Amino acid sequence: MCRAAIRMRLCLEWQDMNTPSRHQWRPRLVPAEEPEPDLAGLLAQVARGDHRAFELVYRQLAGPVYGVIRNVLRDPAQSEEVAQEVLLEVWRAASRFDPDRGSAAAWALTIAHRRAVDRVRAEDACGRRERKAAPGMTPECADAAAAVEASLDRERVRRCLDSLTGLQRESIKLAYCRGYSYPQVAQLLGVALGTVKTRIRDGLIRMRDCLEVDW
Amino acid sequence: MKIRDDLHVLTGSYALDAVPWPEREEFERHLRHCPACEAEVRGMRETAARLATVAVMAPPRRMEQRVLAATYRTRQLPPLARGRQSRRYSGAATARTAAGWLSRDSRHRVRQLVMAAAAVIVAAAIGLGINQAVTQHQLRSSREAGTAITHVITAPDARSHTAGTKAGGAVTVVVSFRQRAAVVATTRIGPLPAGRVYQVWVMTPSGARSAGLFSHAGRNGPLLASGVTPGDKIGITVEPAGGTPRPTTTPIVIVPLPV
Repeated sequence: MCRAAIRMRLCLEWQDMNTPSRHQWRPRLVPAEEPEPDLAGLLAQVARGDHRAFELVYRQLAGPVYGVIRNVLRDPAQSEEVAQEVLLEVWRAASRFDPDRGSAAAWALTIAHRRAVDRVRAEDACGRRERKAAPGMTPECADAAAAVEASLDRERVRRCLDSLTGLQRESIKLAYCRGYSYPQVAQLLGVALGTVKTRIRDGLIRMRDCLEVDW
Repeated sequence: MKIRDDLHVLTGSYALDAVPWPEREEFERHLRHCPACEAEVRGMRETAARLATVAVMAPPRRMEQRVLAATYRTRQLPPLARGRQSRRYSGAATARTAAGWLSRDSRHRVRQLVMAAAAVIVAAAIGLGINQAVTQHQLRSSREAGTAITHVITAPDARSHTAGTKAGGAVTVVVSFRQRAAVVATTRIGPLPAGRVYQVWVMTPSGARSAGLFSHAGRNGPLLASGVTPGDKIGITVEPAGGTPRPTTTPIVIVPLPV
């Protein structure tokens, strides 16, 4: 019942965001909750061998890391195995994270996504995996309305996805959420290779600007 | 030229790990010589990370214990020497370019700071122009602050560090020990209740001293903190309007300066 109410409030806040006071939305969204400790700072502590800091890092990253991997791999057991590897890699390689080169979340999720994709490609190469997706099918990764509690961040991502053209959106979803290579995406969508490459790039640029990503 | 354009279009696919071998390798070679592509890939990786916020799934509970236990038997990698940060973990080939100390990203932030500094100076000049009552001395000191800020952020030993704050947004600190000063700026920092300000502190072993106030949400600064030495920290607290002589609340962020 309250889902609709929340959504309505999100819509209202979304409109607010287009006014000059848009920076005010974040605190209103996460009202009295304890603020999450800064990941980049925690990673610096982890790099010095701080296990407690790693616990906090785990709590922030486990959900997105597992989600990204699960979306690509589908198989829960395999996803769990790869997610464990990735999170342990975050512990092992924390000293290699450089905050000047991007956010801590992007760093970890880049490792996660690449690991998952590498696993899929290796299996594809061995012919062990039969993966078929109908063009136009909607991977839940990019519109998981059912699974997750309302969050303005997610709502915003969804809205930004909605602002893309159909082909841009489908290409990005198939590549990111399903781990397909761009030639596979081209085949699935029945379009030229060059078209997919440009659609993915244009779509991501539009997403980046829509989300006001700092980079 | 045609080949390069063709490769550049791959930034998006590469950021999503959608470039298959051996093209991926070819593109990574290209990235090492194309700072523009590298920056674009970085922005797209950040964007992809935001996509992941809609993919969040609760992992099985047992995973936490397994991973935490495994950390006790896993040796960590040592940091890489400055200037040769791992390409693998920055997610892209990001050879540090000639200018040295600051990464591309920092320089981008520094450029923003310089522009902000210029805006402050211009605003001060306009304000002063209209208000005939200000003295020549005030004009000079405001101009001097602007010059000092420019000196810090363009100093050859300038280093930049950005950290998220508990009030949302981020703070960027550019420090030059040669200039004995740091420049502090915030972006997208959360709003404050009426009668409160953000106060910036230089935290030293002998105590904290105020470096100035930020009075509003969003973008603030640049503010000059002088007399900083290696090992000091820059902290920000929420204080009553007008500021206080000593911090009275827990900092929303602490940025340690390099030693």
